[in-house]
Amino acid sequence: MIEIQSAARQACDFGELMREHRSMVFSVVYHFLHDRDLAEEIAQDVFLSLHRNLGELESPAHAAHWLRRVAVQRSIDAARRRQRRPMVALESLPEPSVRPSPGDPLLGEMLRKLIASLPETQRMVVILRYQEDLDPSEIAGIMGIPVGTVKSHLQRSLALLREKLERRGVGER
Amino acid sequence: MKPAFLACALAGVLFAQQFKFNLDHLAPKASEKVDLSLTANLLQLAANFLDTNDADEAKVKKLVAGLQGIYIKSFEFKKEGQYTKADLDQIRNQLKAPEWQRMMGFESSEDRESVEIWVRNENNKMTGLAILASEATSLTVANIVGSIELSDLSELGGHFGIPKLKKK
Amino acid sequence: MDWLEQELKQALARKEPAADFDARVRRRLVRTTPRWLAAAAALVVIAGGGALYRRHQGEQAKEQVMQAMRLAGSKLNRVQAHVQAMGERQ
Repeated sequence: MIEIQSAARQACDFGELMREHRSMVFSVVYHFLHDRDLAEEIAQDVFLSLHRNLGELESPAHAAHWLRRVAVQRSIDAARRRQRRPMVALESLPEPSVRPSPGDPLLGEMLRKLIASLPETQRMVVILRYQEDLDPSEIAGIMGIPVGTVKSHLQRSLALLREKLERRGVGER
Repeated sequence: MKPAFLACALAGVLFAQQFKFNLDHLAPKASEKVDLSLTANLLQLAANFLDTNDADEAKVKKLVAGLQGIYIKSFEFKKEGQYTKADLDQIRNQLKAPEWQRMMGFESSEDRESVEIWVRNENNKMTGLAILASEATSLTVANIVGSIELSDLSELGGHFGIPKLKKK
Repeated sequence: MDWLEQELKQALARKEPAADFDARVRRRLVRTTPRWLAAAAALVVIAGGGALYRRHQGEQAKEQVMQAMRLAGSKLNRVQAHVQAMGERQ
């Protein structure tokens, strides 16, 4: 009886966790890999892994942290398994015929491509900072790198993105 | 028999960790720990499972081929002041041995970060590497035992999310 | 936050996966090995002399080597980046 109740509670928890966190997990992977199909597959893997490890999780907050961490690890692993490197090399990103300005949806797409071409660690730091609104110490904890390194990566990434956008005539009005 | 036994014992010593870390007292204070002791046998075993079709794993497989051991202890703490200067100085004192040389490093008082790279040379050949890295809330010490080429080291840039350094 | 950071927040706003995401996960859960088969496989491993255990050891060693390279490489790169930055400033 106790086993059945526990299994039922776990099943409810799993469904609830999936509903609550699927967009977070999918978005981390998608923004990192810039490949929707692959992101769907990897995100599914993350939740299958969650199901296997449900008994180890202590609280909803622990589960959220765990999911972020595994989504980050699986994203980086998937990127390394791919034969080719970033989707778009920064240098080869073409000049847009119409220069998007701040607030323009085209700028969003340009930024997503630029982010997808950043080196892996920098890319993930940017995603965790601006998608998940995490502070550097939280990012450091998830990625297993020092806080100072996270801050350096953020600074360098922003500087690089700014430079690339300015070269394309995109900047603050 | 005796010289052979001594040779075997010496080989074991040569391939073991090249200096003592003496950092176990930090483990209970750490919120995150990495403790890796990869002997020659484990490195060989790992190498058999590294995929040469994966660019990163192929590079690591090449790097590992010349190594006899990798020993790393890394600690992350929730607050500052969990390790002391003495914890690093006792390692630096061991690296004062003539076969060790400080190759490069930096210290930033602003970021409270320092990294030192030491190289072990024997018979004009590099036979080991020591890395001492500290930040306000983290400490990492590594000893890589074996033959390492500087070009192999620099190839680590550009992998694992480390930005590739522009060559001038 | 400046304009770029605001744009980054918008560009990286969370997206939903496909509508049938939950259903796909549950289908894959159902397809995982039934317990009786896993137990039988474990018996085969025990009887078979540990080839699977050796594989597990090897995969674990590989993960540890990759972790070690990541950690050591990041420190080396940190020094090299710092040295390069100092050179560019001179």
